[in-house]
Amino acid sequence: MSILQEIKNRVRSKSIHVTFVDVGSCNGCDIEVLACLAPRYDIEQYGIYVHNNPREADVLLVMGAITPQWTDKLRDLWDKIPEPKAAIAVGNCPISGCVFARRHMYIEPPVEKYIPIAAQVPGCPPRPTEILNAILSLAPTLFKDYEEKQR
Amino acid sequence: MITYLYEKDLRRMKFNILTSTWHDLAVRQIARRLSIDLQRLRLIMIQRFDMSLLENLPARWEAGLRHADTNDPTARELGCELFSRFIPFVEPDEMQTICSETRAEIDNGTPEVQAIDAGKARIREVILS
Amino acid sequence: MKKTVDVSIPIGPVHPCWKEPIRIKCETAGERVRRAEVELGYMKKGIERIMRGRPWQEVMFLAERVCGICSVIHNMVFIEAMEAISGITVPPRAAYLRVIVNELDRIASHLIANFSYCYTIEHETLAMYLLNVREVVLDNLERITGSRINTAYMIPGGVRFDLSEEDAAALLADLATVEAEMRRYVKMFETGPLIGLRSRGIGILTQEAAIEAHAVGPTARASGIPECDQRLRHPTYRELGFAPVSRTEGDNFARVMVRFDEVFQSIGLIRACIDRLPDGPVRGGGDCGPGEIVYRGEAPRGELAYCIRSDEYGRILDISIRTPSIMNIEACSHYMVRDVTSLADVTSTFISADPCIACTER
Repeated sequence: MSILQEIKNRVRSKSIHVTFVDVGSCNGCDIEVLACLAPRYDIEQYGIYVHNNPREADVLLVMGAITPQWTDKLRDLWDKIPEPKAAIAVGNCPISGCVFARRHMYIEPPVEKYIPIAAQVPGCPPRPTEILNAILSLAPTLFKDYEEKQR
Repeated sequence: MITYLYEKDLRRMKFNILTSTWHDLAVRQIARRLSIDLQRLRLIMIQRFDMSLLENLPARWEAGLRHADTNDPTARELGCELFSRFIPFVEPDEMQTICSETRAEIDNGTPEVQAIDAGKARIREVILS
Repeated sequence: MKKTVDVSIPIGPVHPCWKEPIRIKCETAGERVRRAEVELGYMKKGIERIMRGRPWQEVMFLAERVCGICSVIHNMVFIEAMEAISGITVPPRAAYLRVIVNELDRIASHLIANFSYCYTIEHETLAMYLLNVREVVLDNLERITGSRINTAYMIPGGVRFDLSEEDAAALLADLATVEAEMRRYVKMFETGPLIGLRSRGIGILTQEAAIEAHAVGPTARASGIPECDQRLRHPTYRELGFAPVSRTEGDNFARVMVRFDEVFQSIGLIRACIDRLPDGPVRGGGDCGPGEIVYRGEAPRGELAYCIRSDEYGRILDISIRTPSIMNIEACSHYMVRDVTSLADVTSTFISADPCIACTER
């Protein structure tokens, strides 16, 4: 492994830029992600920085089951994120549609149909600590030796 | 035919909003009041109103029935404020002209029912145009 | 047609200040906003359609998931509507416990609304302070109901869990800290000169326009319509001698201040509830029967109405929900935003109306 790769690995595990997108949830997961920002959980002490700009992000948090307006736009948003990237599904909705996956619904779950999902955090809604844990445990392993693997 | 670059065709979603129980009730009442065909009225609403106004339609209709034109029976009969401010089908200036002309006709000796019917027909014309 | 508009600027659907997707198309002349148009459909899940034909046991949980921020009031209004249909009475202790949980939820909701506003006008320090206070409130909610969000605390004929002596004491102690902290933050907000520049006199909603758009909740109360508060018509709140907060300015500052004042009011209501909390059972039980009703309650954002028709097995035949954000977003996009002097104020004005898109579209 080259020395450059090692430096990159170290940097990537300590600095993770996160963006989140709500594709039709009930707001419950949104405010739990927001609660991660609070000094109680303090997401920034782990080197995670929450952006709302997909072009600067490494990790995309997807919340909610897919609504008709999002079916094409989510893919656009995913394409804007630079490599290496990963998507985490937060809550039950992006995994299965949760309680909304019934007859006569407008939504089209799961999110996996539209973008590749690297990790799932089930719960309705999951606790902020679980979301934090998912980001922290996923990012270093997924981004490790990215350039080596590409070759 | 309009082609959309980024936006999706919103007509289907607007129709979904209009056919929810409470909204459907309000649209039916408005159609009866204006004596316009229900489908025609829905089409006009979908073309002219944005989505948040459509969502708010029943609340606006109820507020309009309670608060609009409380001190003028002719204006109340025509729905003067109701169809210009509360449910903005007609521009306020245009509505004011129709209203004052109807009032003038009544003063000139035209029977009230006839004058109001003529006024209503004019409002319907403006809405359908 | 005469051209009065320079350019149409879309804001959204993904925007740093908004937690939820919505698209506002602002038609501007120079920097001045002439009119705005809202495009929804990013959150339409069709909950009302899913609910139809299902037993109340399922609809109860669906109703809660209309909105994650104010889930308790959705639960409360649905359950109280079912109780009113089937003639179930609630034990007095349970009625008071409902008010306690509802007010805790209201505090949490108002805090997150004001957090968003402070975040939007880039006062991040105050925003983080408020978010930290909210955690204390959520801790208490969790201690009483067992869950932070989506509590499912109320059931026909009572509530799920009783409030123990220790929990009540802990709640009172936490409320004292929250109140002391909040006094400091409200002073910061009231006296901050830069906050005043961004908030006072911006996004004015006149009383006339508020009536026209049927604005509700803190938005309407900031424009001088105190009687829109549905808690005035709720029996338990009447026993507690509830009187609504109101202001007359109708600008962004007034809306945020009304929410701050309501936090203190809610703290007072919870204290009064714990003082008067009668002894007795918390679960009465009862069967849900047939009937039809329009039931209204006061959500943190305003008047929430459920129109329900059920059959003799307690199945929901027809349901329609009118959430407060529908009216407030409409009032915001067609009255407040109009003639705002700068595009930068559009986002803050929009957030000051406390929009909840998940509620609006259901």
